[in-house]
Amino acid sequence: MKKVHQLLGLLMLAFSANLYAEEKGAFGAAIASVSESVDGFFNDYTGWFVSSIFYSVPVGDASFPIIVGWLLVAAAIFTVYFGFVQFTRARMSIDIVSGKFSDPNSKEDGEVSHFQALTTALSGTVGLGNIAGVGAALAIGGPGATFWMILCGLLGMASKFCECTLGVKYRTVLPSGAISGGPMYYLSRGLGEMGLGGFGKVLAVGFALMCLLGSFGGGNMFQANQAHAMLTYAFEVPSEYGMITGLVLAALVFSVIVGGMPSIASVTEKVVPWMAVLYVGMAIVVIGANIGQVGAAFSAIFEGAFTGAGVAGGVIGALIQGLKRATFSNEAGIGSAAIAHSAVKTKEPVTEGLVSLLEPFIDTVVICTMTALVITIAGLNAAPYPGDGLTGVQLTAASFTQTAGVFKYLLALAVILFAFSTMISWSYYGLKAWTYLFGEGASIELVYKVIFCVFVVLGATIQFGAVIDFSDAAIFAMSIFNIAGLYFLMPVVKKELQSFVARVYSGEIKKYD
Amino acid sequence: MQEEPGFHIDLSKTLIQDGPKFLSHTVVISGNNAYLRPTISSMLFCFIYIVVGAFLTTLASYIMITSGQLDLAIFIGGFGVAIATFGVTLIQPFLKRARFDRKKGVFDNGVDRNVKLEQILSLQINNKVVKRKQALNYHCYELNMLTKNGRRINVLNHNSINQILIDAELLKNFLKIEVDDMRREIVL
Repeated sequence: MKKVHQLLGLLMLAFSANLYAEEKGAFGAAIASVSESVDGFFNDYTGWFVSSIFYSVPVGDASFPIIVGWLLVAAAIFTVYFGFVQFTRARMSIDIVSGKFSDPNSKEDGEVSHFQALTTALSGTVGLGNIAGVGAALAIGGPGATFWMILCGLLGMASKFCECTLGVKYRTVLPSGAISGGPMYYLSRGLGEMGLGGFGKVLAVGFALMCLLGSFGGGNMFQANQAHAMLTYAFEVPSEYGMITGLVLAALVFSVIVGGMPSIASVTEKVVPWMAVLYVGMAIVVIGANIGQVGAAFSAIFEGAFTGAGVAGGVIGALIQGLKRATFSNEAGIGSAAIAHSAVKTKEPVTEGLVSLLEPFIDTVVICTMTALVITIAGLNAAPYPGDGLTGVQLTAASFTQTAGVFKYLLALAVILFAFSTMISWSYYGLKAWTYLFGEGASIELVYKVIFCVFVVLGATIQFGAVIDFSDAAIFAMSIFNIAGLYFLMPVVKKELQSFVARVYSGEIKKYD
Repeated sequence: MQEEPGFHIDLSKTLIQDGPKFLSHTVVISGNNAYLRPTISSMLFCFIYIVVGAFLTTLASYIMITSGQLDLAIFIGGFGVAIATFGVTLIQPFLKRARFDRKKGVFDNGVDRNVKLEQILSLQINNKVVKRKQALNYHCYELNMLTKNGRRINVLNHNSINQILIDAELLKNFLKIEVDDMRREIVL
């Protein structure tokens, strides 16, 4: 019995906050060593991947990553090609969301309305990108990065419209009966219809591979890492104890994705939108409490955007950070949203595209701007911006806490739930890519799910930059294959849009007021 | 069955919107009883929540005792209690053994009002697609019973059609009633 007591004591000691003393215990040192080894591994074996994805060319004083230009140019081209759809068809999008194109008498069982679809998608979009991503962008790019984030959000609406329309149009029913869609399918099937089957297949496989990496990186390790970083900030939990956070998160993720427990998934789906409301509510409180400083904050944003004062690389430096974090947050052009939207119940693919284009607006233009205002108002992020001080989720949390100390606890709650729900979403995207590459099957899928859970623990444990860089690179890499295909497929989307609009104006598609 | 005018029961409609993506129960016949036995794997997944919740709650207590860090203890403890409570809630239906008791002549599932076995008219197998917003959609199947006064009660609800077919056959012989396969094509 005594031995059991000793064992329990040892176990608790290993996991206890008692070790939060400055002196690192053996456990802390062991974790730090594991962390360093894994980071070294990532640096050695994925460094080439990261530097290839973020290959930069000198522009002024800054190095401009080509991938950022790739996303920005694509968003601008889609905007022009679809006739500024995000502005000209904004009213139509809102009408679809508010159910004006749905017959109130013909709602079938289990059908999800467009409004429900939007709130669902938004709850998936509002997450650490809005909290940690904005913190990271402003820590390096200064307040001016916000302006470029907003611009990226506005242009990204067209990219999202294009990819989500295609996601629904080319979705397929798997042998299991599950509906599957996304870039893997529209790249292979869509380009196949154009006689470019081989090229489409290459793009689809490339996308699926990158999506897999993205699901382990930005959709998993980054989330777990920032969840623990938030605990470190709010409760001074040492970063070495990330493994415990990782193990708890991994156990819960495992139960959802392996166990298939419907209840926890339902609970998450219900709780996360409220977390988004809580986050926005807190931001409104901070902005409201400091309303006199909002004008100055906007001035700092505009001045910073065009002067780049204090930012390494000046204006270009601010632009790069803004664009990178906006893309990470709203995922426009990445292709992941097309996977999520493809399961919607609709006969008109373009309606889902029109609904989805509201996401970057709400996510980036509205919510990221709110976060940026909170950070700028708090003034903890002063020029110059080397990015080696408070950054990411910690900068955002510290800025919120300036107004009310209790916000750090609420933010910790929101961050953990956001991280959890984002991991669940990305496990879904990753699994889609995995089944596309390796086929469906219980054991094949289990392999992916177990690997995914291992990465949760790794992400929370690792404290160094290589893992974060890899997470970033993997997400951006998805856009290479996705956007290449979108250029070929955009006429299909345009045709769908023109047909839908024509039928609305002719009265073939009824509008219910 | 003679359909009374103005009294229509759609037997192809499922009774429960959600359902697990695994085999949750099997039917076991033992003498005069036919009961639903939960599978070990389904119980294990519920235990994950209880174990994680208990761990966090214990950790919170330990933090409180050793370092007195109230805010962290409340935060971790709160999560722990919520997760453990969730696990306990989740495991409840697995612990209630629904049974058809020929001796007492009733079906008791611990949820609905008991049903006299003689009132049970037939069993139906229904299918549905459970749509997850953040995961793959999947098929799920129900075994439902229809009583003479028009009540429909769910007996089984999981995603193993093979086991549902086996269990339906077992109950059919046990209750001496018919089983209708009411599965339909589901098009999204």
